[in-house]
Amino acid sequence: MLTDDHISYIIKDLNYRGIVAEGIQDELIDHICSAVETEMVNGTRFIDAYHHILKSFGHTAGLRETQKQTIQLENTKPKNMLKNYFTVAIRNLRKHSFYSFINVAGLSIGLAICFIIILFVINEISYDKHFAYADRIYRIKSEIKFGGNHYNMLYAPPVMASTLATEYPEVEAAIRFRERGSYLVKRNIDNIKEDHVIWTDKDFFKVFAIPVVAGNAETALAEPNSIAISETIAHKYFPNENALGQTLILDNKWNMKITAIYKPIPTNTHFHFDILIAMEGLEEAKRQVWYSNNFQTYILLRQGADAKQLEGKFPELVVKRAMPQLAEVLGDNLTMEKFVAAGNKMEFTLQPLSDIHLRSSLQGEFEPNFDIAYVYLFVAIALFILIIACINFMNLSTARSANRAKEVGIRKVMGSFRSHLMRQFLTESILLTFISILLALLLAYLLLPLFNQLSLRTLSIPFQQPMLYGIIILAALAVGLLAGLYPSFFLSAFKPVSVLKGHVALGMKSGFIRSALVVFQFTVSIFLVIGTLAVNRQLNYIQNKKLGFNKDQVIVIEDAYALGNNRMPFKDEIMRSGKMENATMTGYLPVSGSWRSDNPWWVEGRDPAVQENMVSIQDWRVDYDYINTMGMTIKEGRGFSREFPSDSSAVIINEASVKRFNFNGDIIGSKIATFGDGGNGEPDRNKLITLTVIGIVEDFHFESLKENVSPLMMELNEKSEGPISFRFQSQNTQEVIRLVEAKWKELAPGQPFAYYFLDQRFGSMYAAETRLGKIFGIFSVLAVLIACLGLFALTAFTAEQRMKEIGIRKVLGASISSIVVLLSKELGKLVLIAFVLAAPLAWYGIDWWLKDYTYKTDIGFGLYLMAGLVAFLIALATMSFQSFKAAASDPVKSLKSE
Amino acid sequence: MHSPELLKGTLQTILLKVLKDHGKMYGYEITQRVKELSDGRILLTEGALYPSLHKLEAEGLLKTETVMMGKRVRKYYSLTIEGKSLVKERVSEFVDFIRTMGNVLQVELS
Repeated sequence: MLTDDHISYIIKDLNYRGIVAEGIQDELIDHICSAVETEMVNGTRFIDAYHHILKSFGHTAGLRETQKQTIQLENTKPKNMLKNYFTVAIRNLRKHSFYSFINVAGLSIGLAICFIIILFVINEISYDKHFAYADRIYRIKSEIKFGGNHYNMLYAPPVMASTLATEYPEVEAAIRFRERGSYLVKRNIDNIKEDHVIWTDKDFFKVFAIPVVAGNAETALAEPNSIAISETIAHKYFPNENALGQTLILDNKWNMKITAIYKPIPTNTHFHFDILIAMEGLEEAKRQVWYSNNFQTYILLRQGADAKQLEGKFPELVVKRAMPQLAEVLGDNLTMEKFVAAGNKMEFTLQPLSDIHLRSSLQGEFEPNFDIAYVYLFVAIALFILIIACINFMNLSTARSANRAKEVGIRKVMGSFRSHLMRQFLTESILLTFISILLALLLAYLLLPLFNQLSLRTLSIPFQQPMLYGIIILAALAVGLLAGLYPSFFLSAFKPVSVLKGHVALGMKSGFIRSALVVFQFTVSIFLVIGTLAVNRQLNYIQNKKLGFNKDQVIVIEDAYALGNNRMPFKDEIMRSGKMENATMTGYLPVSGSWRSDNPWWVEGRDPAVQENMVSIQDWRVDYDYINTMGMTIKEGRGFSREFPSDSSAVIINEASVKRFNFNGDIIGSKIATFGDGGNGEPDRNKLITLTVIGIVEDFHFESLKENVSPLMMELNEKSEGPISFRFQSQNTQEVIRLVEAKWKELAPGQPFAYYFLDQRFGSMYAAETRLGKIFGIFSVLAVLIACLGLFALTAFTAEQRMKEIGIRKVLGASISSIVVLLSKELGKLVLIAFVLAAPLAWYGIDWWLKDYTYKTDIGFGLYLMAGLVAFLIALATMSFQSFKAAASDPVKSLKSE
Repeated sequence: MHSPELLKGTLQTILLKVLKDHGKMYGYEITQRVKELSDGRILLTEGALYPSLHKLEAEGLLKTETVMMGKRVRKYYSLTIEGKSLVKERVSEFVDFIRTMGNVLQVELS
């Protein structure tokens, strides 16, 4: 038997003969021991047996050959090769943790943004695609030019839907929607205000295949006074009960029977109605007229029908149906030719459902849509930020190439192919990207709530989808390749001879591409900074523009009709408290989303059949205190007054209408006329209404500043059911709200109290712009941040490279400031070039954005200079930290070595 | 003794079959077993044995298990499930080969 000494001897001897490879060493020892043991059983001496066995292996050479073969077999496995790349990559990243940190930080921020934007874009393009017949649903678009007004809208005549459904074989079904604002809804006593209420035709569920969970979808909305409600509403009003067949009371007067309950409409839909009211019950919907447009109309085409062909039949429809009716109203001898010759237009077209969310912004949209241009813009920005981050990676890798040049040289001498080196560098960048992607995911998860708030979406990261993980791996590969390709080409191309001789002097000067990349980074950053400043300046301009009325210190009480006959007492009693300056009762308020009404009027005595005489004008009904409450200015004449009983037939017009009416002689005292109501909602040609102009009000903006002030007139109406507005003096708004609310509860028990401040509502007209400004702001801050991270690292690198030079300069008497300038000069120049490139681009972009606004701020050259200066200062601050550190260091330290 | 040249192509088949019949074995044990089965006419050289074992392990046909024995470490080899399923195929392939060789060389095989 072998003793421990024998075994130790064998181990040592084998080790001495060069058998050291892990994995094979132990095995050979055991094998030899076992063989020796066998021979010793036959009485051979240990040392003889050992040498005999060694001989059978072929002595040292044979042993080594066995070892070599085994190792070679293992090393040609790709797994081992990759493992090696991986190990070296990790070592390198850890060794240069400062640069790795900069890279990972930049990349993960860039990727997080990309990630959020991708989620957002996917959500935007998914709108309305979930409907079963999405590709067959179209919406009617109307373009009407008449009486000096030009409408691009979604409102169609009431008879449009039924005509299309019955007379055109291509159309399978057609439905209409009619908006009538919000409703007060109650089951028994307490009212709740519901915003998403709409009147619609019974084929709603046929066109939009929304799943119905209770009730019969086909007959649900066939009868008057029936409603279909969403599950959300059902749970709200009938918790733990079956809502089907029950009754809800709308606006305190209409008892509506619930005939269907449907699944909530998905968020990525262009409408979110909670309550559908049967159109059967709406008198207005039964009118057979073509000259009034109030109904959003949708059609479902038959399978295989061609929308373009159907659209081609619309002009004929206008000639055959609409023209005869118009002729009746406007004058007997009107023909299509005359109508068109007078510069008028009446045209219907079809808009595909899939175009609604991103390509439509017309009068009559149910909800504000998004703009495809902004989708492109977002994608572009996200890509640019990602590219900026990738550029950091490239720049740092190539800049540090001097340090790695020796490694490349030695590897090549040892037999590395160029392809091996490229693979090595690519592994490093892919690894780095992978770490960044994981961090980016975390970052995106944390930032998403903020983004949702800004974009008004409910996005979430789909962690449960396996697709996500596939995409992450693909993205790591793609971005890793993108960022690592250039450095790997660049580094692996070094010639070992020159590198090892020390001929690679790659300071800042050598990198033309590097400079170009820095310029690119800063061009994008400065572009974004200028964009942000411009958007904010325009928003500021809008907020501070003289509007022609005073939007501050006005509280508006909504749903005043719920007060019933207590409206006047409510207003009077609050006025008596002495806290309010003025009060007015009307729905016609100078912020969009308020009541509007459009009618044709002409100067009395002119011929209404002549198109040019007709002025399509906003016809507002207000009370005595309206002008004072809103803080508007009378330019000529006077406002409505209780001292003049004749004011019931008086009118106040704005400056824009003065221009359009083109009065002869004195304006004050002139009369204007229109047709009266024939009793059925249709104008009666034999009944003229005339009003006398008593005052001219200064033009005030009642729609977004994107639009011009259009002609407007005010008539007197004291009994409005509209909201009540109070102008208050107190700075304490809470006190004002308390006062009004207490009175409301007293006079309108059980009705919901809702109010808003006029300036808030005004601000919400520009909510989209405000959001854009904020998102832009965040993007530009991040872009600048990432670019500066890169700059920071580059300066650090230059300073490190020129350590000795700086030391010698200092010894020879250079001051700290001169060295800081020396180090910052070159990068500073690049930022300057970037500014020169970015300014015209930004100018073009801002010009494009502002072209929508009729009233726009003047973006002076100062703004560009400021943006450039900001970018330059930030860059300078970034650089000077490193430069200063280098310049202030003790020359003894840098010169002592060698 | 058979020439090592003849053995080259059959080594893997031998290893797999021996391991199938005897469960787990270590390197030296395998050489001894083969020697015994062939009446000393097949001697596996260590230079061929270990690379082959390692190759089969890397291909996932063998699995290993190490046992500490005082100062020595012994590595046992055994078939993986994949390896087990392959043995029969390899053996019948080889028998087939011998039959073909018999035809080619025009000799009667028992």
